Amino acid sequence: MKKVVLVSASPKINEHSVSKEFLEMTGNQINADLFSKTFIDVRKSISTHKQAEDFATLSKADVIIISFPLYVFCMPGILTRFLVDYSNYYTVGPNNKSKVKVYAIVNCGFLEPEINLEAVRVIKSFCQHIKAEFRFGVLIGGGAMMFAAKNAPFMKKSVQKLNDAFSSMAEDLKHEDSAKTDHIYIGVNFPFSRHIYYFMGGRGWISLARKNGLQKKDLYKKPYRLNE
Amino acid sequence: MKVLLISDKEYLTKTYQGLKNLTGTFLEKKGFETEIIEVEEKNLTFCKGCFGCWIKKPGECVINDMMTQINRSSMNSDVVIYLSPIIFGQFSPNIKNTVDRNIPNMLPFFETRPDGSTMHPPRYETYPKVIIIGYGDMVSDEDIQLFIDVTKKHRRNIEVLIYQDQETTANLIEALNIMEFGRVVGSL
Repeated sequence: MKKVVLVSASPKINEHSVSKEFLEMTGNQINADLFSKTFIDVRKSISTHKQAEDFATLSKADVIIISFPLYVFCMPGILTRFLVDYSNYYTVGPNNKSKVKVYAIVNCGFLEPEINLEAVRVIKSFCQHIKAEFRFGVLIGGGAMMFAAKNAPFMKKSVQKLNDAFSSMAEDLKHEDSAKTDHIYIGVNFPFSRHIYYFMGGRGWISLARKNGLQKKDLYKKPYRLNE
Repeated sequence: MKVLLISDKEYLTKTYQGLKNLTGTFLEKKGFETEIIEVEEKNLTFCKGCFGCWIKKPGECVINDMMTQINRSSMNSDVVIYLSPIIFGQFSPNIKNTVDRNIPNMLPFFETRPDGSTMHPPRYETYPKVIIIGYGDMVSDEDIQLFIDVTKKHRRNIEVLIYQDQETTANLIEALNIMEFGRVVGSL
């Protein structure tokens, strides 16, 4: 049986992770009669010092799917650490490895899925360094909203696109010699103006800050330049 | 002129030494006051995505480690220069951690930039000019282009330069010589 390893790389500690949700949606689409499925959480792997065990699992994979949130227009530092260390582990290992297929799922809070492109290109570069075959990325805009409002009527189309994208991935990974495939871009079909999205997001931050005993004006503090 | 130079202790290669000497000599000749911080894994933890820097202690990271000093020094410098190894076409893990944990210096909200893309608004009126110098040995053209895109495509007021060996020294010095230094107005 072939092995699929699904890697979730949200830096959050014991909090709800959108990246993990997308990964689970993908995992559900993969045929369990054909593939064994192993999930790795990068944060847990590092905090419990399980990297050696997880690297061994990854090195035996036929397919690797990596899901992560965009951090400053690229992958989070914690995933960068994990992949650099894995690359060092993998490249000194035996040379008789079969070619592994790699897919990326990247989500961001910004509405535009295209912003995730450079992060996907970094995964492609990682693949070139470990001689893996990069297949394609699923680039998701408004990621957190996809789950927060998944039952809203305006979200129906986006959720369908997500399911289609993960289904395409599950189908693609079954084939040995697949043709080149384009990345899949999925944004939120938000029915209102972008400014309303910004306004709603802003209110969310203010409300969270109030729960911490802060006032709206506190969000604008300038601790390092008090004279500005 | 105050300059903060951030480099990665994990990649002290010959190329890095060449770049550090070259940059140090340039800054000395200019008469700039330079603070050097070499980051390493043991004194810089990962961002944990808690948003505490926006909703608990606005403007400051809630993790108490070397990043507190970096953010304070950075916001009070005129120029910040990162010397970053080019790894998979982006920053090394330690430099990426430093970049991730700069987010207290911006606001949580969204705004639209002139090119139509979304960004978080600035927290401060002015920011240090940021110069990122990527270095490495035998870096592919594709990875160099990606390193430039990762930074230049999404950020304004940022300069990206590449250093690979002594053959690229002249280009780097020429680029630094024509560069304007000093704080910039806060568009990110």
